[in-house]
Amino acid sequence: MSCQEYQRQIVLSLYEELNEGERAGLETHLLACRECRQAYVDHQAFSDALAEDKAAWELPSDLLVESRRALADQLDGLETKRSWWRVPAFSVVFTPMRMLESATLIALGLAFGVYISNHQLSPGGTGATLESSAALVLAGVPQDGRVSNVRIVNTDKSTATVEFTGDVVQPLRFTGRLEDETTRRLLFSALQDSMNPGSRMQAVEVLARESSEPSVKGVLIHALLNDENLNVRLKAFEGLKPFADDEDVRAAFMQALMSDPNDGVRVAVVDALAPFTKSEAMANSIEAVTRNDDNTYVRLKGQGLVHAVGTQR
Amino acid sequence: MEAVLRRAEQAGYDSDEEKLLIEQAQNGNREAFEELVRKHDRDILRLAFHMLGNREEAREVFQETFLKAFRSLNRFRFESSFYTWIYRIATNVSLDHLRKRQTLKEEISYESDTENNPDRPALKDTLAATTYYSNPERRLYGREVGERIQEALKSLSEKERLVFELRHYQGLRLRMIGEIMGSTEETAKNYLFRATQKLRAQLGKV
Repeated sequence: MSCQEYQRQIVLSLYEELNEGERAGLETHLLACRECRQAYVDHQAFSDALAEDKAAWELPSDLLVESRRALADQLDGLETKRSWWRVPAFSVVFTPMRMLESATLIALGLAFGVYISNHQLSPGGTGATLESSAALVLAGVPQDGRVSNVRIVNTDKSTATVEFTGDVVQPLRFTGRLEDETTRRLLFSALQDSMNPGSRMQAVEVLARESSEPSVKGVLIHALLNDENLNVRLKAFEGLKPFADDEDVRAAFMQALMSDPNDGVRVAVVDALAPFTKSEAMANSIEAVTRNDDNTYVRLKGQGLVHAVGTQR
Repeated sequence: MEAVLRRAEQAGYDSDEEKLLIEQAQNGNREAFEELVRKHDRDILRLAFHMLGNREEAREVFQETFLKAFRSLNRFRFESSFYTWIYRIATNVSLDHLRKRQTLKEEISYESDTENNPDRPALKDTLAATTYYSNPERRLYGREVGERIQEALKSLSEKERLVFELRHYQGLRLRMIGEIMGSTEETAKNYLFRATQKLRAQLGKV
């Protein structure tokens, strides 16, 4: 084998890509060849320099979280499109019931078309009739309610009736004191149901003023452990922090320390737990949870707590 | 990095659990697909981040990779490991982005005209604002050395760059890299050697 080939092997050996036989052969050659020995030393130095660069490429922790969320949104979008095509009315299998459904949909479409066309052509004259027919259709629905997600769940040919389901959304404006049941229920609802993280954050902020209340505490713990929005989780943490001596709150903090994907939350939580880590068992638990944490501060803090408890004894 | 190597070695074959997840995902189970994503997404993002050098493009590559996998999962026939398959998609998407960037760079260079378009930023300024070197974390490590290495990486051919990237920064074994490239371990060894030689020639003593 030529020195050129051994130099190729030197590179591969530094990446641990040689088998036993090749490595033994290379070592024997290096003992005998000064030029290749020097090449080995040079390659080793170069490899060390590159290794430092490699270490500098840490993946920013928030980038993974951001990327996962963006991907989940994209997948949601894809699934919505697919589920639209799974609606039975669009199936190519024509059962009598399906044909009735389709006929109903077409009739509804035509009626809507006629309504729109009449409404646009004669806003004054025939408006009264149209308004009354609209009122007839919306009987049982609050006057200012908005109907959405309408679906046909049953059609009965014999009685010529169609059964719908859907949502009615009514405008709401309410002012109440924080301790009022209705106010609180609305805040819980904003926190649990809202698609808007801004609303959830505001709800947490307001509720946090009453976080000693058991029901509020439970909701804040739920937000800390489950909300997908980082700022909501941090607000919930801030609300719970003054009550870190509470056993439930500490248990929630431990859970967040174990599972929250964000470094900032885990750092905040481990700091909040520190003053309450008086026992060796507690310190050991925190150390066990943080031992493999991606974040250096969290890991060191966990180790520090064990050390501090040990020193005090 | 040892953890990456271990993970890469373990991922060289699909466990029964992973096979089940793949089959469930192929039958339209979204949760199973997300579980598969979670198993590999950190590695894929790290690859994209280093190959492209900035967050925005890394995120795009990440999304494109997993969306492509989602759409074509039914065509996965267990002829390679899922890890190899997903890495193959990710490397192709990353290379596409690098090619597009190169085209854009050429267009901008061609159109650069300080007299007629004085407001248009120079390409180097645009890149400086978006690459990883604008990240304060990155500055903690010798920025100059890092920049020189990144510059030298540009002198490599596409395949040399890919093999070096996957072996040096991602910690994948050359055997697996060969599979990802649709080639052999021996070919991957040759690319790695050539890449190292070129980098040494470019960088001298770093």
